[in-house]
Amino acid sequence: MSEISEKIIATPSTHYGAGKPSTWNFIVQRATGALNIAFALFFIYLVVRLARADAGTMSDLLSNPIVAIVTALMIISATMHMRIGMREVIEDYVHDEKLNRFCLMLNWLVAIAIAVVTLAALAKLVFWG
Amino acid sequence: MPTHSRPLSPHLSIYRFTITMAMSIAHRVTGIGLYLGTLLLALWFVSAAFGDGSLSVVHAIFGSWIGQIILFLATWALFHHLLGGIRHFIWDSGNGFSREARFGLAWANIVASILLTLIAWAIFVWF
Repeated sequence: MSEISEKIIATPSTHYGAGKPSTWNFIVQRATGALNIAFALFFIYLVVRLARADAGTMSDLLSNPIVAIVTALMIISATMHMRIGMREVIEDYVHDEKLNRFCLMLNWLVAIAIAVVTLAALAKLVFWG
Repeated sequence: MPTHSRPLSPHLSIYRFTITMAMSIAHRVTGIGLYLGTLLLALWFVSAAFGDGSLSVVHAIFGSWIGQIILFLATWALFHHLLGGIRHFIWDSGNGFSREARFGLAWANIVASILLTLIAWAIFVWF
């Protein structure tokens, strides 16, 4: 393997590293981060309104189309943001190549699983009470 | 070909403690905390989807002293990470890099996050 010089890293045309996904992650992390400021305030409203509420009350509020859509978008935005954030932590601290790939895959699976499970539960509460 | 780990630069242990460093670490720690915190939201929604029986179990967990401590810390993590994110947006815009601004933003981050957490719990939980 040839030596990775400063020149290789600094020159975009060498395509050192994963350029496209990294740029995408950079943009998505900031876009979802900005959206999550609003979603966090909405989430506080949701928790305050539904704390200790029974399932019927929860589905009543969540069935409101606006509340349902914003909640769904919040779940998607939050899980996208957390996947990229954890990815950065893994990139920084997990140096072993195999373990690194395993952690990145696990991180991806966890983020998808949480999104799918939470969205499914939301859909159940919205459509079937 | 024998493979060697790449050399790493000296890490946390050699640096003098600064508030900006602490807030940088806190941003990561609260981010990881919120990552795990999404499990609480999933647990809440899933238990509600299964009905009042399972939901009341989750209410009991969240209402227990350990549950309340976790939710309190999660609230702080949310505010701290949110404000830390705004700090990063200020930096992304090319502002706030002076010594005064860096230290001011870092102190504002920790102080405001604690205040907002206390205010939110005072309004919505305690009173």
